[in-house]
Amino acid sequence: MFFPGLILALELSGQHDEDLARRLQRREPEAMKDLYDRYGKLAYSVVLAVVRDAATAEDLVQETFLRVWNRIQAFEPGRGALGPWLLAIARNRAIDHVRSSSSKMDRNAFELDVREHPSLFVDMQHEVENTDYARIIRSAIKKLNPNQQKVIELAYYEGLSQTEMAERLGQPLGTIKTWVRAALGVLREELGQAVAA
Amino acid sequence: MTCEELRGDYGAWALGIADEPERSEIAAHLARECPACTAGVRSAMVTTAAMSGAVAENNPPKRLRRRIVSMVEREPKRGFAWLPWAISAALAIALVSIAIPGRRDTQAILAQQRDMAKLNQALSILNDPTARDVTFGDPAARGRVVVSPSGVVLIAAHLPKIQDNQTFELWLLPGSGDPKPAGTFRGETISNSSSAVYVYQGSTANAAAVAVTVEPEGGSPHPTTTPFIVSKL
Repeated sequence: MFFPGLILALELSGQHDEDLARRLQRREPEAMKDLYDRYGKLAYSVVLAVVRDAATAEDLVQETFLRVWNRIQAFEPGRGALGPWLLAIARNRAIDHVRSSSSKMDRNAFELDVREHPSLFVDMQHEVENTDYARIIRSAIKKLNPNQQKVIELAYYEGLSQTEMAERLGQPLGTIKTWVRAALGVLREELGQAVAA
Repeated sequence: MTCEELRGDYGAWALGIADEPERSEIAAHLARECPACTAGVRSAMVTTAAMSGAVAENNPPKRLRRRIVSMVEREPKRGFAWLPWAISAALAIALVSIAIPGRRDTQAILAQQRDMAKLNQALSILNDPTARDVTFGDPAARGRVVVSPSGVVLIAAHLPKIQDNQTFELWLLPGSGDPKPAGTFRGETISNSSSAVYVYQGSTANAAAVAVTVEPEGGSPHPTTTPFIVSKL
């Protein structure tokens, strides 16, 4: 199950993030403070939820912010969504760490580079601005059946591939794929309805 | 695979849980800027990003903010932009020195030839298209490590001070098993900061990370101190 008492919200303030991204691109150290103040807690919470070790989480969050700092020139301030990009990097670092620790080293640098490329995090603001994601996502997850909740949990917090989920849950791969697609469909629909409302 | 065949897997890919061959196929479509797959994955990324809103809130320790901010406060204005220039300059100096051996003694020429060989090794690793390039930063040191199948180039600044009877030692960390020693080196003081460009030539097979420790002079077969650099590949 997802954790109870979920109170985090994505603070995706488009205009502020645009200014912040430009300052980061100008290599202003003060901008890094602002970036951390805006997303540090959320990034730490995401990483800690995955790795479940505070010291490791600190290292990975530091690595996340360094990666953003080093790759910010590829970010488009007017179109990019800084928060989702940073949080994707944070989660990827965490999942990668967990999988490395368990010797499931099947991800490569190329794949992570593609998955974290800033171009995948553009034009999100119009969809997510002023949207209370924490409330919506909690509500949406409640609408998933137990199997769907389970695969989303295994996916988000453990980064298990669908084949690994099939082995873990003792289900055919096709069934797992169906559950994953259905679960993501429900979440996407709920989020879409909230944005459209 | 076609975009149509892949569209059902955009969500799984965005979450990082897609299986082969869809996983590689979508990555390949994105790498060649396929419009349909890029749009589909972007949309799926919104859902994935939103999931962070369902995570339990935890306050990071205050020191984490200091760690992160200190990484960039110490950054030289131009970062590592000096590196190609420095390598070129060093190479040029070595070439000029060798070209006019009458002005140098044999020892100096041999040293420069060693430097040149080292530079060639470094350039070979840096030019390897399969090399993995990872930056690292920590209160103790920051820099970059490039790892090809045949070697490692480590560029590090702000190295800790060590005694004359100590050395830095590079380690290759496999996914499981013991660290593999990859040679020792010392730093040089540049602009009041101890820095080093170290080249290790040897197989890096199975290396999942590199690390650097402070060891007794001559190095150790196993790390005897906590690494001050650990860079995952």
